[in-house]
Amino acid sequence: MSMTIGLSVLDTSLYISDLRPKRKETALREMVARAALAGVVSEPLVLEEALLLRERLGSTSVGKGVAVPNARSLAVIDPRLMVARSRRGIDWGSSDGLDIHLVFLVLSPGECPDESHHEFVARAVAVARLQRNRQKLLEASSFDAVASVLREASP
Amino acid sequence: MSDAAILKLHDLDLLSREFQDPRALARLRKLGLEIVQPEVLSRARARLLATVDRRWLNLYERALRRYGRAVALVRDRVCQGCFITLPTSVTPSVSESLTLCESCGRILYWR
Repeated sequence: MSMTIGLSVLDTSLYISDLRPKRKETALREMVARAALAGVVSEPLVLEEALLLRERLGSTSVGKGVAVPNARSLAVIDPRLMVARSRRGIDWGSSDGLDIHLVFLVLSPGECPDESHHEFVARAVAVARLQRNRQKLLEASSFDAVASVLREASP
Repeated sequence: MSDAAILKLHDLDLLSREFQDPRALARLRKLGLEIVQPEVLSRARARLLATVDRRWLNLYERALRRYGRAVALVRDRVCQGCFITLPTSVTPSVSESLTLCESCGRILYWR
């Protein structure tokens, strides 16, 4: 299962230009609801629980205002990368103490092997680590601009 | 039975297995996604088990021991665990989306 950040995993209906919640639990709930609405998730409550459980094991903040929550779940129909920005910032329990302004939600179906899921997560993290990518994503004016940054940044 | 509870249990066990694999842990550590509270998983599993019907739980645990994954997705009437085409008699009801694969014994999830 190839997990490049290409057209197959990006979807305009999975982009949230300004996520309003201040708490990560509420933010994740809102993102899952959006994914369910887009038909990417069959059982939103199951996915929500998987994501919240993962957060309880350790924060998925990767620093510099970026979080990469992720789940492999039977509730996920197809691999998808969901992107959300938050102007006011979300308290994600980050070790660097910074609020989160960029969320990459990585969703893999339950049948996806560990390695493929981790590769998918790694691609999102790689994009987030570069300051110029973060800047472009935060300044992007549309989903197309976000998708273009992701496609260019991910081999 | 709560179908969702079995699905949650499956996802939790996937996560558990991932964090028992040193290579997977090393990959996550490299990404900056460390696990600092692994004990959360066993507590969450115990809580979840209390919500699952005992008969289905026994079937789940048996399939888990045997295959490593207890729930298989059904796609085009084919069990994605053993790839047998399921007979028409095996069909989920409106209230229950789970059934059992009579060939491999995995719990079937009809999406």
